[in-house]
Amino acid sequence: MDMRTDAPASEVSGRAAPRRWGGPVFSLKGLLKVFGHDKPYVALKDVDLTIENGEFLCLLGASGCGKSTLLNLLAGFEKPTGGELLYHSKPITGPGRERVMFFQDANAALLPWQTVQQNVEFGLRLQGLLHNSQWRRRAEECLELVGLTEHRHKVPSEISGGMRQRLQIARALAVEPDVLLMDEPFAALDAITRRRMHEALLDVWQREKRTVVFVTHDIMEALTLADRIAMMSVGPGSRIAHLIKIDQPRPRNPGDPELGRLFAHLEHLLHGVSPKESMQ
Amino acid sequence: MTAAVSPVETREEQTAPSLRHRRFLTARVREIIRRIGFIGASFLMAFIGWYVISYYITGPFLIPPPSAVLRAFFPMAESGELLRDIGMSLSRVAIGYVVGTAVGLVLGLFMGRVRVLHDLLDPIVQTTRFLSPTAMIPIVIIWFGIGELAKYALVFWGTVSLVLINTIAGVLRTPKIRQNAALCLGASEAQIFRLIMLPSAVPFIVIGMRLALASAFVSIIPAELLAADSGLGYLLQQSSLLLQTDRIFVALVVICVVGFLTDQVFYWSTSILLRRYLAVA
Repeated sequence: MDMRTDAPASEVSGRAAPRRWGGPVFSLKGLLKVFGHDKPYVALKDVDLTIENGEFLCLLGASGCGKSTLLNLLAGFEKPTGGELLYHSKPITGPGRERVMFFQDANAALLPWQTVQQNVEFGLRLQGLLHNSQWRRRAEECLELVGLTEHRHKVPSEISGGMRQRLQIARALAVEPDVLLMDEPFAALDAITRRRMHEALLDVWQREKRTVVFVTHDIMEALTLADRIAMMSVGPGSRIAHLIKIDQPRPRNPGDPELGRLFAHLEHLLHGVSPKESMQ
Repeated sequence: MTAAVSPVETREEQTAPSLRHRRFLTARVREIIRRIGFIGASFLMAFIGWYVISYYITGPFLIPPPSAVLRAFFPMAESGELLRDIGMSLSRVAIGYVVGTAVGLVLGLFMGRVRVLHDLLDPIVQTTRFLSPTAMIPIVIIWFGIGELAKYALVFWGTVSLVLINTIAGVLRTPKIRQNAALCLGASEAQIFRLIMLPSAVPFIVIGMRLALASAFVSIIPAELLAADSGLGYLLQQSSLLLQTDRIFVALVVICVVGFLTDQVFYWSTSILLRRYLAVA
């Protein structure tokens, strides 16, 4: 791995030029997150993780293990209590459009009063970039990329749940983020739509080569998507308990015996990392 | 089909071959007809009840029957006195409501946005809102006399807190996720407020304004009862002094009808103009 970490901060929001930074996108060392003062709750403790450029990383763990907390820290919504939390070698101080978060609840995340197209253009409007034809074209490309061009004049309540999630993807991509942070994005969708969303996401990821950090509690979902799976121990004081590299070529077939073997292995690990054990 | 089929029937057969029973009305039209039917039935029931109570229970003096009310109505309408009273009451409602809504809206947006301001002013709002406009009449008369200003002040009092409280709630209840989503797309604090919080608060603000509109009508009548020389409340008061129950009923019915129509105008105009903001996604 080329460890050049010379990306200047101004390039973080750099434009259409392809990203060619060396070094990890995120590097976390001894990360600590404590909530509350009077009755402190240690959500994360000693989290060490390095996320490489262009990687698809899944954070896997049981409910309440602090996956979402970790993602919120990466997004900059939360501040770490201690330890090191670096994005391209610089401490994360707040949210920024180079790290766009993608939410499970599309109704809350989207603007229900704006059309599909206006939602995609929203990020550009915030930057005052809407009147730049190059950016506008970019927004239209993103709509096309997720197959929503023909629905662009509808409002979010008029399209299906799966379409709304695709709209969120398009909206995120339109501002040319470096990283997509996804918090159980498809957990509320039915199995068939979910499968299609996986295909759509992988398709977009392979074409756009963004880094993706994807939170899930579903082992099969992680196996279908990830380059690497970071399995978290059960809280309080969760950490990254295991890192598993998945080398299977995509598209991955759930019936693949190798995936089946990995599934069994992961399930064993997930159960192995019981609260009792992690307390020791 | 026999050979004696007329050309018209043949054409119908071609356009809708699969439908055995052809619906002449769409489901939407049938639903509207059903609702109108029930509204009619509701009023019919009320009128019959009114007649029965008037003739068989209280006697026509205490509760004049609809026919007597109608007989009282026409001369009042023709002379223009009724229209003048309606106009006076409506103008008081309009001015007090517009000012009350504007103040409640602006103050509510600030209080929803600035936490210190909210924590500082909210206790005052939460306690003083129990003072109904009627409770404020005596002091308002001392402050502003019995002129128009006193009426505007009372309607203002009846509207401002409803709009204020609902606006604050609307701003505070903007989904955190929506704000976070905008933050990571690069929104500034000012943009979050203008482009996220304000539009997200619209349904609450509209509810507050609608409640306040009803409250404005409720507020103006007692004010006119006690200190006025025009308006629907004044009409009620004068008729009561002269024991003209039929004229009292004319005024009561007019208040119902004018209030209802104003509310409907408000409801439909906001539903159409703010359709996108009110749609529950």
